[in-house]
Amino acid sequence: MTTVSDVNTHPQPLNTGFQPDGLGARLRRRYFRTPGNAMISLVGMAALLYLVYHALDWAVLKAVWASPDGTSAVCRDIAGACWAVIQQRWRIIIFGLFPYDEQWRSMLACIAMVATIVLSCLPWFWKPLRLSTLWCAGFITFYVLMRGGLFGMRVVMPADWGGLTLTVFFYAAGVLIGMPMAVALALLRRSEMPLVSRMTGALIDGVRSLPLITILFTAALIFPFVLPDWLQGDKIWRVIIGFALFFAAYQAEIIRSGIQSIPVGQEEAAKALGLSYWHRTGRIILPQAFRNALPPTINQLVITFKETSLIVIIGFFDILASGNAAYGTGEWSFAYFEVYIFVALVYFVFVFSLSRYGAYLERRMRFGQH
Amino acid sequence: MSEAAIRITGMNKYYGKFQVLRDINLDVRSGERIVVCGPSGSGKSTLIRCINRLEEHQQGRIDVLGTELNDDIGNIDHIRRDVGMVFQHFNLFPHLTVLENCTLAPTLARKVPVEEAEATAMTYLKRVRIPEQALKFPGQLSGGQQQRVAIARALCMKPKILLFDEPTSALDPEMIKEVLDVMVELANDGMTMLCVTHEMGFARQVADRVIFMDKGEIVEEGRPAELFDNPKNERTRTFLSQVLSH
Repeated sequence: MTTVSDVNTHPQPLNTGFQPDGLGARLRRRYFRTPGNAMISLVGMAALLYLVYHALDWAVLKAVWASPDGTSAVCRDIAGACWAVIQQRWRIIIFGLFPYDEQWRSMLACIAMVATIVLSCLPWFWKPLRLSTLWCAGFITFYVLMRGGLFGMRVVMPADWGGLTLTVFFYAAGVLIGMPMAVALALLRRSEMPLVSRMTGALIDGVRSLPLITILFTAALIFPFVLPDWLQGDKIWRVIIGFALFFAAYQAEIIRSGIQSIPVGQEEAAKALGLSYWHRTGRIILPQAFRNALPPTINQLVITFKETSLIVIIGFFDILASGNAAYGTGEWSFAYFEVYIFVALVYFVFVFSLSRYGAYLERRMRFGQH
Repeated sequence: MSEAAIRITGMNKYYGKFQVLRDINLDVRSGERIVVCGPSGSGKSTLIRCINRLEEHQQGRIDVLGTELNDDIGNIDHIRRDVGMVFQHFNLFPHLTVLENCTLAPTLARKVPVEEAEATAMTYLKRVRIPEQALKFPGQLSGGQQQRVAIARALCMKPKILLFDEPTSALDPEMIKEVLDVMVELANDGMTMLCVTHEMGFARQVADRVIFMDKGEIVEEGRPAELFDNPKNERTRTFLSQVLSH
């Protein structure tokens, strides 16, 4: 009998004798094919080199990297970048107003949260049990470390959390709560019961037509008046749920578009096999919908990461607001450019990793693996 | 002969105000092989899609394996597990391997243990002569291979009735035979089959009864030899002359 393990699925590639060009040949063909072509290439390269040289001159060659005495005096008469501000003030940017002596907790919490996000990107964790265990462990670790009150750690209320740690936590919590909400909204909007689908549609359109700022304001400041005390919770959780709702409204439409691009025959085949609604949805429709909707989903995740900076308006010091605070003292106020470049680099690292991960997922799914 | 596997009485179906099926009466005995033919738009696909309720009927009654089809969703899912269907466009699940396509429904809907479901799947994949493709994805197979996987997938649920909705219409000519061969084998094994097809050779070879439909009605039915060689109705004659003339 033929068993599964006998089956050969990877035929050997044929040797066609085709040799790709070397680097030199390709450069010649692309940039120096004709004299005019060559001239444009040379001028372009010269301009590029000139700009890169100037940027490097400022950022590296003439830059000051550290301040031995802790003051801004080292940067007084220089023509380059004053990276000493980062060396002196990085703790504020990364940890915000978290008590200085306890910042190791914020650091560990941030690492735990980033590790949770990175690990859940690995296919090995894509089983409901593994993923939920991972996320529970990640959030509990984060919360215990940040809030303290256990194992002799001082209590630090969420109002004092800040910096990169707060940004990462806010983002992870918002997406983690928002994604299931988005799936639920997308499915409810497709309901065959007109009342359900219309009401869901109204909710999605309603949330989408409000600016994120008003939603965050409402969650932070209005809900305490209208909700009973026991339902209010901490401000940070109300804001996270508002943020998650905003994310979910957009993501729900992305998922719905993914569902609509699946051929009708898929659902019919699943029905004809006697699969129940939940099995059809969970095993046939949603996996394909997410795959179809992967590029806009990554897009939405990227936008959402950058939108976390809006929480500053309701009094939370995310990484951007902490950056403002870092140069806000009179001493370093001239060095705002360097601080913003540093903050921008941090954003870039996160967002660029995310989009590279999206590209990896697309490659991986091309052959149908999941 | 055994009891009726399918019994349709006085069934009417409408899309809005447009009537697509008109006073359908049809009894299918267990083990019977029926070919439904007719011009495009005659309602033949709609008819067999009513049997597993991919389409709902508005009037009349349909009984499948002793259960009436109505709004009871539990009943419908139950019936669908016993009524396999093979589609014109295969409708394999592209994100699952061939093997997973075959084991998904048995493990989820019938709660068969995974090892047992895989063993059954390999048996049927061997029967449709593509066990070596088990770990590939549907997109890596030819149309004829995909349709044979679709047949294996339906068989893995051990259905009592198999519905075929133009199973060879989307295939390149050289692949039609490999699918028809599998269907002939199934028919010879005594499977109850309803098959919408234009393959008259197949109908002659295996059908117990051929049903000719036009404009939502069953116009004529009979043994293949009678219906093809000596059609009584004018519409049947016209259709057959068009199909057989090329």
